[in-house]
Amino acid sequence: MSDLAQSSKLPAVHEDDFDVIPFEEAPYSGRLSIFEILKIAWRSIRANMLRSILTALGVIIGVAAVVALVSVGNGVRQNVTDSFSSFGTNLLTISSGQGGFGPPGLVRGGGSQTLTIEDAEAIVALADDRIEGVAPANQSNNQQVKADANNTTATIVGTWPDYEKVQNAATQAGSYFGSTDVETRKRYAVVGSEVASDLFPDVDPQAVVGQKLKIANVSYDILGVLEEQASAGFNNPNTNIIIPLSTFIQRIERNDYEGKPTVSTIAVKVEDPRDVEGVEADLTTLMANLHEKVSEDDYDFNIRNQANQLESVTAVFSTLTTFLGAIAGISLLVGGIGIMNIMLVSVTERTREIGVRKALGAKPRDILSQFLLEAILLSCVGGLIGILIGIAIGYFSTDALSVPFVLSIPSMVLAFAFSAAVGIFFGFYPAQRAAKLDPVDSLRYE
Amino acid sequence: MSELILSLKDIKKAYQMGEEKFLALKGVSFNLYQGEMVALMGPSGSGKSTLMNILGILDNPTEGDYLLRGENVSKLDEFDRAEIRNAYIGFVFQSFHLLPRLNLLENVEVPLTYAGYAPKVRRDRAFDMLEKVGLVDKWRNLPSQISGGQKQRVAVARALAMNPALLLADEPTGNLDTQTGDEIMGLFHVLNDEGVTVLIVTHEPEIAEQTKRSIRLRDGLLESDQKHEQRRPHVASQVSTHYIGSSQ
Ligand SMILES: Nc1ncnc2c1ncn2[C@@H]1O[C@H](COP(=O)(O)OP(=O)(O)OP(=O)(O)O)[C@@H](O)[C@H]1O
Ligand SMILES: [Mg+2]
Repeated sequence: MSDLAQSSKLPAVHEDDFDVIPFEEAPYSGRLSIFEILKIAWRSIRANMLRSILTALGVIIGVAAVVALVSVGNGVRQNVTDSFSSFGTNLLTISSGQGGFGPPGLVRGGGSQTLTIEDAEAIVALADDRIEGVAPANQSNNQQVKADANNTTATIVGTWPDYEKVQNAATQAGSYFGSTDVETRKRYAVVGSEVASDLFPDVDPQAVVGQKLKIANVSYDILGVLEEQASAGFNNPNTNIIIPLSTFIQRIERNDYEGKPTVSTIAVKVEDPRDVEGVEADLTTLMANLHEKVSEDDYDFNIRNQANQLESVTAVFSTLTTFLGAIAGISLLVGGIGIMNIMLVSVTERTREIGVRKALGAKPRDILSQFLLEAILLSCVGGLIGILIGIAIGYFSTDALSVPFVLSIPSMVLAFAFSAAVGIFFGFYPAQRAAKLDPVDSLRYE
Repeated sequence: MSELILSLKDIKKAYQMGEEKFLALKGVSFNLYQGEMVALMGPSGSGKSTLMNILGILDNPTEGDYLLRGENVSKLDEFDRAEIRNAYIGFVFQSFHLLPRLNLLENVEVPLTYAGYAPKVRRDRAFDMLEKVGLVDKWRNLPSQISGGQKQRVAVARALAMNPALLLADEPTGNLDTQTGDEIMGLFHVLNDEGVTVLIVTHEPEIAEQTKRSIRLRDGLLESDQKHEQRRPHVASQVSTHYIGSSQ
């Protein structure tokens, strides 16, 4: 043996250090380092690059789907939540029918309309000083509006002057009509910022005040221009035109209930959010009396406050996000099965390599870690790529939906951890099979 | 007599063939000493490879004791067998068995890696071994880029990397032409002269003649175990000068 050692001290062709330790004295740990295992695993991934990418694709798609769906879901939820809170938590909305949900701006009575102006007047007549304002409203979508040469499509809202404080729709120029204007059915209009810029391009909002516009060939004086508002749910308040409710009923659309004109919603603003529940109870009693309903099951109206509205919307979105997340999770699972499949093929293909490695001193543990790490590497790299793609998809689709882009770190961490777990879980069986191969049989394997 | 390297005591190996047991080895005993060069001969199916696998601790015998450097290694689990293979045994196979994706240097490094040597030690040692077999210039090549004889030389370099007590070669020249085969035999001679113990399975009488001792198996039994004159191949001196002499 010592002869061999001597003969191995040949002039070295490579640059050598001064402190040459004879091989016999060189320290060794007796075990394969994790770094070496990683290197072996990475090499075999690289050697079959296309196959590795295709294998990882399952995980990539799964993780990208989880991240993108959760981010879009959160964006939409946040958007809806924001639009709810922009109305304040002290808003009560009365509408026809038994209930349902949606932001108040959207509500149009499903089925027959049973709310009338008299209901709104009765609320005002309560003279309850907890109530800050009352605004019954009717609305008509997709109305053609003209001014001089320009025209646009707008949503006409007929309401009372309290609309301004009830719906937080302040003017940036001019002002609202007054209650006498409602009584005398004045043809006055307060326009949303987009309506103003569509009808009077490049005109200062201040100068828009005093101009005229035409709805259904009837001319209206513009009294004010609204401030730009955040998009509330699915309708855009900047395309609203607000006119007196009486004018709306006369000129735009009239529906009757027992001979009295109806309104689709009555919004009531409570001064102190802590009084919301009390006022809600009182209004329920009042409305029940007015409509002569005794049992709650017979109510032909419903009163909702922002808190429970928000709750139900949030619940729906959570369910939706969970559901989409579960679907994405299933695709991750499918990706994991793909990894297992390829790893099994790979173990079979490399039976001889495994035999050779074992003959040269690889322990079952070493072979196990090599294949397990290969699977984990595939799924983790897949997971990372998936997260990046998911973020990109989330970013562009929230942009397209014009909802805020919310990066959910927990969902990314979860997706990544899940993909790593998929690698461990689905990589273990093939790796164990490789580790258990008999060295003699695998050396003989053709 | 020089140091006893291994001792086989009544080694039996049975294979389960369906219902019946087939005895591939029916009780083989012999000793091997430090520095010997032995040929293992016998007709096909006589149990040579089976015996090599047991000697190489790739397999456990069904019965009997195998003492390697005084330690009984006949009933070890796969973990311990791997460790002993790594430390004491160098394999040279008929079909080379290099790892196709690793270059020559990395191939030689493999056993050193499993032993847990540091990268620098591994590289130095692997370079030394490649130099020994005259392939240091080609260290970057992949196995697919070199000839059969060169592959077998790399395999020898790899087998030597861990400085094994025993070099086992199962028909190392079986896939090579006569001249290349003689070159490999020349290499074995040089190594044996340096003190490496070599056991070669072969069908070729010419190769057996080049050793000092021949063991013959027949039907799983030791037929003969003879010491004889060693006749070196003609190329041997050439080869040794070429591969080693010139660089010393
Ligand atoms: N895994 C196995 N299962 C069953 N029988 C086996 C197995 N391995 C070897 N044998 C049998 O054991 C006997 C000896 O086989 P072995 O490979 O040792 O022969 P050999 O002497 O190396 O032959 P050759 O010169 O052809 O290589 C043969 O009859 C073979 O069929
Ligand atoms: Mg054989």
